[in-house]
Amino acid sequence: MSQIPNLENAPINLSAIRARAQAELETILKNVRGDKCLVIDPKLSGSLSLLVQSSELKKHGAELRHLTAEPIQTDRTKVVYLVRAQIDLIKFICSHIHNDTSKGLHREYYLYFVPRRAVVCEKVLEEEKVHELLNIGDFPLYMIPLDEDVLSFELDLAQKEYLADGDATSLWHIAKAIHNLEFSFGLIPNVRAKGKAATRVADILNRMQAEEPVNTSDMGIPEINTLVLLDREVDMVTPMCSQLTYEGLLDEFLGVNNGAVELDASIMGVQQEGKKIKVPLNSSDKLFKEIRDLNFEVVVQVLRQKATSMKQDYTEISTTSQTVSELKDFVKKLNSLPEMTRHINLAQHLSTFTSKPSFLGRLDMEQTLVEAQSYDICFDYIEEMIHKQEPLVNVLRLLILFSVTNSGLPKKNFDYLRRELLHSYGFEHIATLNNLEKAGLFRKQDSRSNWLTIKRALQLVVEDTDTANPNDIAYVFSGYTEERHLYPNINFHSLQLIFYSSVFACNLSYRRPIEEILRLLPGPHSEIKRGGYASIPSYETLPGSLNSSEKLADGRRSLVLVVFIGGVTFAEISALRFLCSQEGMAYDLIVGTTKIVNGQALTETFIEKLG
Amino acid sequence: MAGVAVAAEWQLLYNRYYRKPELYQMQWKNVDLTRNKIACAPFGGPIAVIRDDAKIVQLYAESALRKLRIFTSSGRLISETVWKNPGGRLIGMSWTDDLTLICITQDGTVYSYNIHAELISTFSLGKECFDNSVVECVFWGNGVVCINEAFEIFAVPDFKVPKTVKLADCNLEELPHCIAVIEPQYTKSGDVEVLLGVGDHVLLVEEDLVQPLAEGMGPFQKMVVSRKGEFVASFTHDGRLLVMSTDFSDVIIEYACESALPPEQLAWCGLDSVLLYWDDMLLMVGPYGDPVRYIYDEPIILIPECDGVRILSNTNMEFLHRVPDSTVSIFQIGSTLPAALLYDALEHFDRRSAKADENLRLIRSSLPEAVEACIDAAGYEFDISQQRTLLRAASYGQTFSSLFQRDSIQEMCKTLRVLNAVRHVEIGSPLSIQQYKLLTPSVLINRLINAHKHLLALRISEYLGMNQEVVLMHWTCTKISASAAIPDASLLDILLDKLKLCKGISYAAVAAHADKSGRRKLAAMLVEHEPRSSKQIPLLLSIGEEDTALMKATESGDTDLMYLVLFHIWRKRAPLEFFSTIQARPLARDLFVTYARSYKHEFLKDFFLSTGQLQEVAFLLWKESWELARNPMASKGSPLHGPRIKLIEKAHNLFTETKEHMFESKAAEEHAKLLRIQHELEVTTKQAIFVDSSISDTIRTCIVLGNHRAANKVKTEFKVSEKRWYWLKVFALATIRDWDALEKFSKEKRPPIGYRPFVEACVDAGEKDQALKYIPKLADPRERAEAYAKIGMAKEAADAASQAKDGELLGRLKLTFAQNAAAASIFDTLRDRLSFQGVS
Repeated sequence: MSQIPNLENAPINLSAIRARAQAELETILKNVRGDKCLVIDPKLSGSLSLLVQSSELKKHGAELRHLTAEPIQTDRTKVVYLVRAQIDLIKFICSHIHNDTSKGLHREYYLYFVPRRAVVCEKVLEEEKVHELLNIGDFPLYMIPLDEDVLSFELDLAQKEYLADGDATSLWHIAKAIHNLEFSFGLIPNVRAKGKAATRVADILNRMQAEEPVNTSDMGIPEINTLVLLDREVDMVTPMCSQLTYEGLLDEFLGVNNGAVELDASIMGVQQEGKKIKVPLNSSDKLFKEIRDLNFEVVVQVLRQKATSMKQDYTEISTTSQTVSELKDFVKKLNSLPEMTRHINLAQHLSTFTSKPSFLGRLDMEQTLVEAQSYDICFDYIEEMIHKQEPLVNVLRLLILFSVTNSGLPKKNFDYLRRELLHSYGFEHIATLNNLEKAGLFRKQDSRSNWLTIKRALQLVVEDTDTANPNDIAYVFSGYTEERHLYPNINFHSLQLIFYSSVFACNLSYRRPIEEILRLLPGPHSEIKRGGYASIPSYETLPGSLNSSEKLADGRRSLVLVVFIGGVTFAEISALRFLCSQEGMAYDLIVGTTKIVNGQALTETFIEKLG
Repeated sequence: MAGVAVAAEWQLLYNRYYRKPELYQMQWKNVDLTRNKIACAPFGGPIAVIRDDAKIVQLYAESALRKLRIFTSSGRLISETVWKNPGGRLIGMSWTDDLTLICITQDGTVYSYNIHAELISTFSLGKECFDNSVVECVFWGNGVVCINEAFEIFAVPDFKVPKTVKLADCNLEELPHCIAVIEPQYTKSGDVEVLLGVGDHVLLVEEDLVQPLAEGMGPFQKMVVSRKGEFVASFTHDGRLLVMSTDFSDVIIEYACESALPPEQLAWCGLDSVLLYWDDMLLMVGPYGDPVRYIYDEPIILIPECDGVRILSNTNMEFLHRVPDSTVSIFQIGSTLPAALLYDALEHFDRRSAKADENLRLIRSSLPEAVEACIDAAGYEFDISQQRTLLRAASYGQTFSSLFQRDSIQEMCKTLRVLNAVRHVEIGSPLSIQQYKLLTPSVLINRLINAHKHLLALRISEYLGMNQEVVLMHWTCTKISASAAIPDASLLDILLDKLKLCKGISYAAVAAHADKSGRRKLAAMLVEHEPRSSKQIPLLLSIGEEDTALMKATESGDTDLMYLVLFHIWRKRAPLEFFSTIQARPLARDLFVTYARSYKHEFLKDFFLSTGQLQEVAFLLWKESWELARNPMASKGSPLHGPRIKLIEKAHNLFTETKEHMFESKAAEEHAKLLRIQHELEVTTKQAIFVDSSISDTIRTCIVLGNHRAANKVKTEFKVSEKRWYWLKVFALATIRDWDALEKFSKEKRPPIGYRPFVEACVDAGEKDQALKYIPKLADPRERAEAYAKIGMAKEAADAASQAKDGELLGRLKLTFAQNAAAASIFDTLRDRLSFQGVS
């Protein structure tokens, strides 16, 4: 199985998008003739692993290197840099070239920006007097399909740059990526946005349509019916909580990067001492597709069940006489054996983490924080973590949860915790604190928290609609939560519920109470209708329900693209998939995100040492 | 047969027919070719006329001042101007490929005119030409070769680059008999090659090479090179016409003329024959057979084209060319080829004669080629009714032929419509179909707009499905240049009215032109209509509308454009002004700060100072203090910590000045203090392990090193709380596994946070026995239960949990002991008992 996902079952032709990117990359490599040294910035190289295999790159006579501050060691005379437009990376390149010049080496340098040339970077190149030495181009890679229903814009730092630095570059990139999608799949007629960054992206997207219109007349019916833009800022609570789905947990503990998890070979039952292997995780793996979105406890049960039934089949085969077709079925089942082994190995490895008291304690604490009923317990717990000098990320993750659910901390506590943090982790973290404060993630309380209101309001929605309108979204959610309640340790996911209610409040049944709740959540919301499609059903013409009448004429379900600005967790994607699979759901979903994140990764982007 | 009349006008040269239909009756009056210097552009281009100052002519009722007049090929005046240029006699005049009229005067000045007789540019061929007058010029597509009185040869390889190249010196003593040029694009070297008829031979002259050729074959009186530079036609002093390859190795045609007098004009007619013109006779010589003679009683000028020669006289213009094969097959007298029969069939059909059917039956099998020939022949016709008849014949034949490609008639109609439109007397571009194909439609359109025939150009580009943007853009720019008197607002309306015809046209480009024409206000109004910010913003910058540009860039959301504007303003304005501009715009400010933070620290500091953001300056200074530490010169423990601490103290002071940053101020103060203490510690312990660790780490390190005094000092200096102190000390003691000290510490006084730290430290270190010393001292039974659970004592854990009456805890503990069946059952029984209690 490959790390590059199979996209055959995608609701829109994502393989075409990938193929285009592959072709563009190939052209770049072909344009620089002969042997060359290809220097890729490490983050980008991770993204590219979802696009091409490195053997493919080598076919074009490229020697591969990662871009670091160290000068490159190569005897090739042509050097091709492939980098994201970031100043620090450009500085590396400048120092490489200076280094070569000082040694009297003459090389041909090619610099390709991903996804496009940036004035600010070229300014640095000019200041460093290397601009004329470079042949500059761009590689317009605005997004990469991670899976059949997930697109990533690969903007790791979007949230931090926008919130802490006020740098809105990523918003333009997101809009550009969506606009590019529209060129392939038609102008998206309905755009809904919630949150400051989201409404801004909707605004830029509209502007792009005015500047460089997607032709609405000769494209037929647009393939994507609705775009929902959501700002991560609207809900910082969910990602800060531990994910409990199988895929989510894999990410929390082992780190899923670019659709694969890397771990010791011994865990996967391969006896090679100290060797790491990459296990690809995407829907090409049938079993993974089935269990990735389930709660981990359920996964264990499913795996056990499958193993048992297989064993049973085996006993039957060996004891009684079977028809040939029954034998064939059995052999077919055997084919899934490698997948079974893979996931049993992974699950076993995961359970060593999930059974740790420290993890259970953390889950407990998360719940206490989110319930926001006992301020002092939370405060003491976090204080103690700091005193014990637990890993800073873990502390900050809970601290953010604490601050967000309380709309900040009273000044006295705020200053006290900040001081303790600096004392314990060093004064250089004043920059981290500064970032978090600017982003509003850890700050002084300036108003009463409306967290409880939000929580209560949303729970009310669940209770109200539970019986009244069985077709309602909230019902779907309560079903969702009930299912979760069946298993121990996973009773808390009301937050995701809140989040998705807001998604669908934006999206489907636009009902008053939900609109009121939307107002409670941070940031503005907007909705825009675009294009001159008369024949496309819109929400006005449809009742708030999810009847089958919403299906498009050709029998396909219409498609909603949900874009998370600032990242989305695997658990949230799972929840969305769950929603889609509900009966009566007339929509297919595709998730777009700046990056797949978890609480840790998101928090880490804000950590900055002054030194 | 109808063809007879057609074919009667043809002349036969060996086995090929030639014809010379009249293109135009010249529309001009009183133009006498003999009195004037004439320059005709190929591809049916314009004709420039100016009185020849080398000839003595009688002036009638006209001014003594000469006029440069430009006509279309049909003799309509396009423009005229009075020739007042100094520089002596006009030596050479010719059109370049892009229809610029080049005039070269005796003193080597090159004047370039456009088709509207407006002087575009002038340049000089150089001092040598100025000192020794230019005698003769030979032009080609975009260049010229000239020779001066000192017999030096110069070339301008491309008029777009006004640069003169001196060619190799060939030591001439007299003017060569004749000069011919092989265009750079057809030479091996890629540079121009000049052929000089000198003495009895030819000199091939290049930039740095002179080579004698054809020795003894001359002297040559006239030479002319064929269009693609393969052959040269020459006239020798003894009256022979010689056609040779350009390396003079092969003689292809040798023909002895009746007269030894060199012809006035020598020209190629396509590639098939050569024309010689004397006073009243035009002689056409082909490779075989007798030449054809035409008699003219008025002076003519030969204008070579790719497929023939146009013949201009005072009264008319003709086009002498080979009759194409398809036309021959139809109209040749007595032709029974399918095409001829098809053409004949149409005539019968028109006359309602049954013979039409008979003809068709005869050619059934070769109908497609007959249709093809009719279409092809129609293309070569200049006469519209003849075109129509041929196309009708084709279409008639097509109805009986299922195999035929049906769109070729349509294609031909399209092409002919365009050709007929431009051939019209008003436009006067007599293009043949071959010329049109060679010229390409887009060049034709460019020529039309160049001649200000915008409407026709627009119609043609629309008709051919080409982009109209070029035409509209040119029209708009021309309109702006020509409308100096129209006020901005009304001109804008006129322009917008037309511009809206073409979607996606670049308003920015139009605005750029308006700006260049000195109408900055109009430019600003136009650029407002440009939807693409990426086009709009650079233009706004170039017309000095920086503030609008900044606003638009901000709106666009494209940070790249913002940076473009930022850097522009930064360059243009004084720092303080720049600072106040961006300070007012948060997004611009933040982007600037992001860039400056990673690249221009000092400048950023200036910015923060000038805008009164002292805390930001403080942060920068504080950051620098670390960079100072990383400096390899500042090895740890060196006196360089002095400046480092000073920086931090400076930061501290700046923080103090702003009331809102008391926290940071305090932190900076503490940091400075910490560094001092760490520095002292490193000196006393002689170990460089303290600097840049946190306060907590410093305390731990002290304890680990056994330096409790120092640890206590740090604790009091920074008012470390008892809680934190206990955690730190307990963990530090556990690290060095000093269990006795730990126990002593636990007994110092009642620990402020209980015994949990002690238990945790022991458990983490895997010291079960040590842990057991403290677990019983835990106050909370829940904590006790968990502690016991952690060291695997299920029974004790269960007891403690039941004491706490916490069912949930029991459940969780059971999970911890999941692998241990015996332990699990303990929890189950206990929990059952609990829930039972809960119910009762």
